[in-house]
Amino acid sequence: MPTKKKILLVDDSKTVLMMEQMILNKAAYELVIANDGRQAIAKANDEHPDLILMDVMMPEMGGFEACAKLRSGEATRGIPIIMVTTRGEAESIEKGYASGCSDYITKPIDGMELLSKLKNYLGE
Amino acid sequence: MKKPLVGDDASYVQKVSQETNRYVRDLLADNERVRSVAAALESEVTALRREVATARSAMERRAEDEARLRRQLASLEDEGGRLSERYLEVEEQNANLANLYVASYRLHGTLDRKDVLEAIHEIVANLVGSEQLAIYSTRPESGTLELTTAIGVVPEPPSTIPIGRGLIGAAVRDGKTYLFESTGDPDRLPHERDLTACVVLKLDGVVTGVLAIFRLLPQKSAFGALDRELFDLLATHAATALFCTEMASGPAMRRSARG
Repeated sequence: MPTKKKILLVDDSKTVLMMEQMILNKAAYELVIANDGRQAIAKANDEHPDLILMDVMMPEMGGFEACAKLRSGEATRGIPIIMVTTRGEAESIEKGYASGCSDYITKPIDGMELLSKLKNYLGE
Repeated sequence: MKKPLVGDDASYVQKVSQETNRYVRDLLADNERVRSVAAALESEVTALRREVATARSAMERRAEDEARLRRQLASLEDEGGRLSERYLEVEEQNANLANLYVASYRLHGTLDRKDVLEAIHEIVANLVGSEQLAIYSTRPESGTLELTTAIGVVPEPPSTIPIGRGLIGAAVRDGKTYLFESTGDPDRLPHERDLTACVVLKLDGVVTGVLAIFRLLPQKSAFGALDRELFDLLATHAATALFCTEMASGPAMRRSARG
Protein backbone atom coordinates (compact mmCIF):
# COMPACT_ATOMS: atom_id res chain seq x y z
CA MET A 1 0.00 0.00 0.00
CA PRO A 2 1.51 3.37 -0.96
CA THR A 3 2.35 5.69 1.94
CA LYS A 4 0.23 8.79 2.34
CA LYS A 5 1.83 12.07 1.30
CA LYS A 6 2.44 14.36 4.24
CA ILE A 7 1.39 17.99 4.09
CA LEU A 8 2.31 20.66 6.63
CA LEU A 9 -0.48 23.23 7.06
CA VAL A 10 0.68 26.53 8.49
CA ASP A 11 -1.88 29.13 9.55
CA ASP A 12 -2.86 31.00 12.70
CA SER A 13 -6.54 30.99 11.73
CA LYS A 14 -8.58 28.09 13.09
CA THR A 15 -11.14 28.70 10.35
CA VAL A 16 -8.58 28.34 7.56
CA LEU A 17 -6.95 25.29 9.15
CA MET A 18 -10.33 23.62 9.53
CA MET A 19 -11.25 24.46 5.95
CA GLU A 20 -7.94 23.11 4.63
CA GLN A 21 -8.30 19.95 6.69
CA MET A 22 -11.79 19.36 5.31
CA ILE A 23 -10.54 19.74 1.74
CA LEU A 24 -7.40 17.64 2.19
CA ASN A 25 -8.79 14.86 4.38
CA LYS A 26 -11.04 13.96 1.47
CA ALA A 27 -7.93 13.34 -0.62
CA ALA A 28 -6.36 11.15 2.08
CA TYR A 29 -3.23 13.10 2.93
CA GLU A 30 -1.44 12.94 6.25
CA LEU A 31 -1.70 16.40 7.77
CA VAL A 32 0.61 18.14 10.21
CA ILE A 33 -0.33 21.52 11.67
CA ALA A 34 1.70 24.58 12.68
CA ASN A 35 0.31 27.93 13.82
CA ASP A 36 3.14 30.28 12.83
CA GLY A 37 6.36 30.45 10.84
CA ARG A 38 8.60 29.40 13.71
CA GLN A 39 6.56 26.28 14.41
CA ALA A 40 6.51 25.58 10.67
CA ILE A 41 10.31 25.47 10.47
CA ALA A 42 10.53 23.16 13.50
CA LYS A 43 7.85 20.81 12.17
CA ALA A 44 9.31 20.81 8.66
CA ASN A 45 12.63 19.64 10.11
CA ASP A 46 11.02 17.02 12.36
CA GLU A 47 8.30 15.69 10.10
CA HIS A 48 9.85 16.03 6.61
CA PRO A 49 6.57 16.87 4.85
CA ASP A 50 6.17 16.36 1.11
CA LEU A 51 4.66 19.83 0.75
CA ILE A 52 3.98 22.92 2.87
CA LEU A 53 0.86 25.05 2.59
CA MET A 54 1.65 28.32 4.35
CA ASP A 55 -0.27 31.47 5.22
CA VAL A 56 1.49 34.81 4.68
CA MET A 57 0.29 36.85 7.65
CA MET A 58 1.02 35.12 10.96
CA PRO A 59 2.21 36.13 14.43
CA GLU A 60 5.76 35.28 15.61
CA MET A 61 7.09 34.73 12.11
CA GLY A 62 5.25 35.46 8.86
CA GLY A 63 5.05 33.19 5.83
CA PHE A 64 7.63 34.99 3.66
CA GLU A 65 10.30 34.91 6.37
CA ALA A 66 9.58 31.27 7.20
CA CYS A 67 9.70 30.39 3.51
CA ALA A 68 13.13 32.05 3.10
CA LYS A 69 14.46 30.21 6.17
CA LEU A 70 13.12 26.87 4.91
CA ARG A 71 14.83 27.48 1.58
CA SER A 72 18.18 28.03 3.31
CA GLY A 73 17.91 24.86 5.43
CA GLU A 74 19.70 21.77 4.12
CA ALA A 75 16.85 19.39 4.98
CA THR A 76 13.98 21.63 3.90
CA ARG A 77 15.16 23.50 0.83
CA GLY A 78 13.60 21.04 -1.63
CA ILE A 79 10.12 20.95 -0.12
CA PRO A 80 7.51 22.61 -2.37
CA ILE A 81 5.90 25.55 -0.55
CA ILE A 82 2.53 26.93 -1.61
CA MET A 83 1.73 30.29 -0.05
CA VAL A 84 -1.86 31.09 0.90
CA THR A 85 -2.21 34.80 0.41
CA THR A 86 -5.03 37.17 1.22
CA ARG A 87 -3.65 39.74 -1.18
CA GLY A 88 -3.68 38.67 -4.81
CA GLU A 89 -1.81 41.73 -6.09
CA ALA A 90 1.37 41.34 -8.14
CA GLU A 91 3.54 42.93 -5.45
CA SER A 92 2.54 40.38 -2.83
CA ILE A 93 2.97 37.50 -5.26
CA GLU A 94 6.42 38.71 -6.35
CA LYS A 95 7.43 38.97 -2.70
CA GLY A 96 6.33 35.37 -2.23
CA TYR A 97 8.38 34.11 -5.16
CA ALA A 98 11.37 36.17 -3.99
CA SER A 99 11.19 34.40 -0.62
CA GLY A 100 11.39 31.07 -2.46
CA CYS A 101 7.81 29.81 -2.57
CA SER A 102 6.91 27.40 -5.37
CA ASP A 103 3.39 28.66 -5.98
CA TYR A 104 0.52 30.54 -4.35
CA ILE A 105 -3.24 30.46 -3.96
CA THR A 106 -5.49 33.29 -2.85
CA LYS A 107 -8.19 33.41 -0.21
CA PRO A 108 -11.02 32.49 -0.11
CA ILE A 109 -9.50 29.09 -0.84
CA ASP A 110 -10.95 27.26 -3.82
CA GLY A 111 -10.85 23.54 -2.95
CA MET A 112 -10.52 22.34 -6.56
CA GLU A 113 -7.69 24.79 -7.26
CA LEU A 114 -5.88 23.75 -4.08
CA LEU A 115 -6.17 20.02 -4.83
CA SER A 116 -5.06 20.54 -8.41
CA LYS A 117 -1.92 22.44 -7.32
CA LEU A 118 -1.10 19.85 -4.64
CA LYS A 119 -1.42 16.98 -7.10
CA ASN A 120 0.83 18.83 -9.50
CA TYR A 121 3.60 19.35 -6.91
CA LEU A 122 3.20 15.91 -5.38
CA GLY A 123 3.47 14.25 -8.81
CA GLU A 124 0.07 12.59 -8.58
CA MET B 1 -15.24 -40.70 -116.41
CA LYS B 2 -12.51 -39.77 -114.02
CA LYS B 3 -9.08 -41.17 -114.74
CA PRO B 4 -7.43 -42.86 -111.68
CA LEU B 5 -4.26 -41.18 -110.36
CA VAL B 6 -1.12 -43.00 -110.74
CA GLY B 7 2.49 -42.58 -109.83
CA ASP B 8 3.62 -39.16 -108.47
CA ASP B 9 0.14 -37.69 -108.59
CA ALA B 10 -1.31 -40.35 -106.32
CA SER B 11 1.53 -40.00 -103.91
CA TYR B 12 1.13 -36.24 -103.83
CA VAL B 13 -2.59 -36.42 -103.13
CA GLN B 14 -2.07 -38.91 -100.34
CA LYS B 15 0.57 -36.68 -98.78
CA VAL B 16 -1.71 -33.62 -98.94
CA SER B 17 -4.53 -35.63 -97.41
CA GLN B 18 -2.33 -36.78 -94.57
CA GLU B 19 -1.04 -33.24 -93.95
CA THR B 20 -4.59 -31.92 -93.94
CA ASN B 21 -5.70 -34.59 -91.48
CA ARG B 22 -2.79 -33.78 -89.14
CA TYR B 23 -3.54 -30.06 -89.42
CA VAL B 24 -7.18 -30.65 -88.52
CA ARG B 25 -6.17 -32.81 -85.52
CA ASP B 26 -3.77 -30.09 -84.35
CA LEU B 27 -6.48 -27.45 -84.73
CA LEU B 28 -8.91 -29.58 -82.74
CA ALA B 29 -6.29 -30.11 -80.03
CA ASP B 30 -5.58 -26.35 -79.90
CA ASN B 31 -9.27 -25.66 -79.77
CA GLU B 32 -9.62 -28.04 -76.85
CA ARG B 33 -6.72 -26.31 -74.98
CA VAL B 34 -8.27 -22.86 -75.62
CA ARG B 35 -11.63 -24.13 -74.36
CA SER B 36 -9.96 -25.45 -71.25
CA VAL B 37 -8.12 -22.13 -70.63
CA ALA B 38 -11.34 -20.21 -71.26
CA ALA B 39 -13.19 -22.41 -68.76
CA ALA B 40 -10.43 -21.93 -66.19
CA LEU B 41 -10.51 -18.15 -66.72
CA GLU B 42 -14.27 -18.16 -66.47
CA SER B 43 -14.06 -20.01 -63.20
CA GLU B 44 -11.40 -17.59 -61.92
CA VAL B 45 -13.55 -14.58 -62.87
CA THR B 46 -16.50 -16.10 -61.03
CA ALA B 47 -14.35 -16.71 -57.96
CA LEU B 48 -12.99 -13.15 -58.13
CA ARG B 49 -16.50 -11.77 -58.47
CA ARG B 50 -17.50 -13.72 -55.37
CA GLU B 51 -14.46 -12.37 -53.51
CA VAL B 52 -15.26 -8.80 -54.60
CA ALA B 53 -18.85 -9.24 -53.44
CA THR B 54 -17.66 -10.64 -50.10
CA ALA B 55 -15.12 -7.81 -49.68
CA ARG B 56 -17.77 -5.22 -50.58
CA SER B 57 -20.15 -6.69 -48.08
CA ALA B 58 -17.41 -6.70 -45.42
CA MET B 59 -16.62 -3.07 -46.22
CA GLU B 60 -20.26 -2.12 -45.88
CA ARG B 61 -20.45 -3.92 -42.55
CA ARG B 62 -17.27 -2.14 -41.40
CA ALA B 63 -18.67 1.21 -42.51
CA GLU B 64 -21.85 0.49 -40.55
CA ASP B 65 -19.80 -0.61 -37.53
CA GLU B 66 -17.68 2.52 -37.78
CA ALA B 67 -20.76 4.73 -37.97
CA ARG B 68 -22.28 2.90 -35.00
CA LEU B 69 -19.02 3.26 -33.00
CA ARG B 70 -18.83 6.94 -33.90
CA ARG B 71 -22.38 7.40 -32.63
CA GLN B 72 -21.52 5.51 -29.44
CA LEU B 73 -18.36 7.58 -28.98
CA ALA B 74 -20.29 10.82 -29.43
CA SER B 75 -22.87 9.59 -26.95
CA LEU B 76 -20.14 8.59 -24.46
CA GLU B 77 -18.46 11.97 -24.91
CA ASP B 78 -21.77 13.69 -24.19
CA GLU B 79 -22.27 11.50 -21.14
CA GLY B 80 -18.68 12.18 -20.02
CA GLY B 81 -19.25 15.92 -20.39
CA ARG B 82 -22.49 15.70 -18.39
CA LEU B 83 -20.80 13.64 -15.65
CA SER B 84 -17.90 16.05 -15.58
CA GLU B 85 -20.26 18.99 -15.13
CA ARG B 86 -22.18 17.09 -12.46
CA TYR B 87 -18.92 16.24 -10.66
CA LEU B 88 -17.96 19.92 -10.61
CA GLU B 89 -21.44 20.85 -9.33
CA VAL B 90 -21.21 18.22 -6.56
CA GLU B 91 -17.69 19.35 -5.69
CA GLU B 92 -18.88 22.94 -5.49
CA GLN B 93 -21.81 21.91 -3.31
CA ASN B 94 -19.42 19.95 -1.08
CA ALA B 95 -17.13 22.95 -0.82
CA ASN B 96 -20.10 25.18 0.01
CA LEU B 97 -21.34 22.77 2.66
CA ALA B 98 -17.82 22.54 4.08
CA ASN B 99 -17.67 26.34 4.27
CA LEU B 100 -21.03 26.52 6.01
CA TYR B 101 -20.08 23.72 8.39
CA VAL B 102 -16.79 25.39 9.28
CA ALA B 103 -18.52 28.75 9.79
CA SER B 104 -21.18 27.22 12.01
CA TYR B 105 -18.65 25.16 13.97
CA ARG B 106 -16.43 28.18 14.55
CA LEU B 107 -19.32 30.38 15.73
CA HIS B 108 -20.65 27.83 18.19
CA GLY B 109 -17.34 26.37 19.31
CA THR B 110 -16.88 28.90 22.09
CA LEU B 111 -18.73 30.96 24.69
CA ASP B 112 -16.01 33.59 24.80
CA ARG B 113 -17.14 36.86 23.17
CA LYS B 114 -13.63 37.66 21.91
CA ASP B 115 -13.41 34.25 20.23
CA VAL B 116 -16.84 34.63 18.60
CA LEU B 117 -15.87 38.05 17.23
CA GLU B 118 -12.60 36.55 15.98
CA ALA B 119 -14.55 33.70 14.35
CA ILE B 120 -16.82 36.22 12.58
CA HIS B 121 -13.74 38.10 11.39
CA GLU B 122 -12.09 34.89 10.13
CA ILE B 123 -15.27 33.80 8.33
CA VAL B 124 -15.56 37.16 6.58
CA ALA B 125 -11.83 37.30 5.77
CA ASN B 126 -11.27 33.70 4.72
CA LEU B 127 -14.59 32.42 3.47
CA VAL B 128 -16.25 35.58 2.12
CA GLY B 129 -13.14 37.54 1.14
CA SER B 130 -13.00 40.92 2.91
CA GLU B 131 -10.66 42.21 5.57
CA GLN B 132 -12.77 45.22 6.47
CA LEU B 133 -15.77 44.77 8.71
CA ALA B 134 -17.68 46.32 11.55
CA ILE B 135 -20.26 44.84 13.92
CA TYR B 136 -22.93 46.99 15.51
CA SER B 137 -25.36 45.97 18.25
CA THR B 138 -28.85 47.45 18.49
CA ARG B 139 -29.74 49.64 21.45
CA PRO B 140 -33.56 49.73 21.19
CA GLU B 141 -33.90 52.05 24.20
CA SER B 142 -31.98 54.81 22.37
CA GLY B 143 -32.92 53.79 18.83
CA THR B 144 -29.27 53.52 17.89
CA LEU B 145 -26.63 51.05 16.80
CA GLU B 146 -23.52 50.79 18.94
CA LEU B 147 -20.17 49.76 17.48
CA THR B 148 -19.07 46.42 18.95
CA THR B 149 -15.92 45.99 16.88
CA ALA B 150 -14.34 47.27 13.69
CA ILE B 151 -11.51 45.49 11.91
CA GLY B 152 -9.46 46.90 9.08
CA VAL B 153 -11.84 49.83 8.46
CA VAL B 154 -10.00 53.14 8.08
CA PRO B 155 -11.04 55.59 9.36
CA GLU B 156 -12.90 53.74 12.10
CA PRO B 157 -16.67 53.91 11.54
CA PRO B 158 -18.83 55.96 13.94
CA SER B 159 -19.32 54.51 17.41
CA THR B 160 -23.09 55.02 17.22
CA ILE B 161 -25.47 55.23 14.27
CA PRO B 162 -29.15 56.14 14.58
CA ILE B 163 -31.32 53.27 13.35
CA GLY B 164 -32.59 54.24 9.89
CA ARG B 165 -29.64 56.53 9.06
CA GLY B 166 -27.55 55.66 6.05
CA LEU B 167 -27.34 52.22 4.48
CA ILE B 168 -26.37 50.45 7.71
CA GLY B 169 -29.15 52.11 9.70
CA ALA B 170 -31.66 51.40 6.91
CA ALA B 171 -30.77 47.70 6.81
CA VAL B 172 -31.45 47.43 10.56
CA ARG B 173 -34.67 49.44 10.28
CA ASP B 174 -35.87 47.20 7.42
CA GLY B 175 -34.57 44.04 9.06
CA LYS B 176 -33.12 42.97 5.70
CA THR B 177 -29.66 41.99 4.53
CA TYR B 178 -28.48 44.28 1.73
CA LEU B 179 -25.71 43.56 -0.77
CA PHE B 180 -24.32 46.38 -2.89
CA GLU B 181 -22.91 45.74 -6.34
CA SER B 182 -21.01 49.03 -6.58
CA THR B 183 -19.12 51.11 -4.06
CA GLY B 184 -17.77 54.66 -3.93
CA ASP B 185 -21.15 56.35 -4.57
CA PRO B 186 -20.62 60.03 -3.56
CA ASP B 187 -24.20 60.18 -2.25
CA ARG B 188 -23.33 57.70 0.47
CA LEU B 189 -22.31 58.72 3.96
CA PRO B 190 -18.50 59.04 4.21
CA HIS B 191 -18.08 55.94 6.39
CA GLU B 192 -20.23 53.89 3.99
CA ARG B 193 -18.35 54.64 0.75
CA ASP B 194 -16.78 51.17 0.55
CA LEU B 195 -19.72 49.30 2.06
CA THR B 196 -20.49 46.09 0.11
CA ALA B 197 -22.88 44.25 2.46
CA CYS B 198 -25.04 44.80 5.52
CA VAL B 199 -25.92 41.50 7.14
CA VAL B 200 -28.65 41.99 9.70
CA LEU B 201 -28.17 39.79 12.76
CA LYS B 202 -31.42 38.33 14.05
CA LEU B 203 -32.26 36.29 17.09
CA ASP B 204 -35.66 34.67 17.02
CA GLY B 205 -36.79 37.22 14.42
CA VAL B 206 -35.60 40.21 16.43
CA VAL B 207 -32.79 42.35 15.00
CA THR B 208 -29.90 42.34 17.47
CA GLY B 209 -27.24 43.95 15.32
CA VAL B 210 -25.65 44.24 11.94
CA LEU B 211 -22.47 43.03 10.31
CA ALA B 212 -21.17 45.64 7.88
CA ILE B 213 -18.70 44.39 5.29
CA PHE B 214 -16.65 46.93 3.41
CA ARG B 215 -14.11 46.58 0.57
CA LEU B 216 -13.65 43.08 -0.88
CA LEU B 217 -10.22 41.55 -1.47
CA PRO B 218 -8.71 42.50 -4.86
CA GLN B 219 -9.17 38.99 -6.27
CA LYS B 220 -12.85 38.94 -5.26
CA SER B 221 -14.95 40.78 -7.82
CA ALA B 222 -18.46 40.16 -6.48
CA PHE B 223 -20.50 38.10 -4.04
CA GLY B 224 -21.60 34.65 -5.20
CA ALA B 225 -24.25 32.13 -4.21
CA LEU B 226 -22.09 30.75 -1.40
CA ASP B 227 -21.61 34.23 0.07
CA ARG B 228 -25.37 34.65 0.25
CA GLU B 229 -25.67 31.35 2.09
CA LEU B 230 -22.88 32.38 4.43
CA PHE B 231 -24.68 35.65 5.09
CA ASP B 232 -27.90 33.77 5.87
CA LEU B 233 -25.94 31.58 8.26
CA LEU B 234 -24.17 34.54 9.87
CA ALA B 235 -27.47 36.41 10.24
CA THR B 236 -28.82 33.84 12.67
CA HIS B 237 -25.79 31.93 13.96
CA ALA B 238 -23.59 34.94 14.67
CA ALA B 239 -26.49 36.59 16.52
CA THR B 240 -27.07 33.40 18.53
CA ALA B 241 -23.38 32.95 19.27
CA LEU B 242 -23.01 36.55 20.45
CA PHE B 243 -26.15 36.22 22.58
CA CYS B 244 -24.76 33.02 24.14
CA THR B 245 -21.55 34.82 25.10
CA GLU B 246 -23.64 37.41 26.96
CA MET B 247 -25.56 34.62 28.70
CA ALA B 248 -22.31 32.89 29.56
CA SER B 249 -20.89 36.04 31.12
CA GLY B 250 -24.08 36.58 33.17
CA PRO B 251 -24.28 36.10 36.95
CA ALA B 252 -25.77 32.59 36.79
CA MET B 253 -23.00 31.27 34.57
CA ARG B 254 -20.33 33.02 36.64
CA ARG B 255 -21.71 31.32 39.77
CA SER B 256 -21.77 28.00 37.93
CA ALA B 257 -18.17 28.50 36.80
CA ARG B 258 -17.11 29.22 40.37
CA GLY B 259 -18.81 25.98 41.43
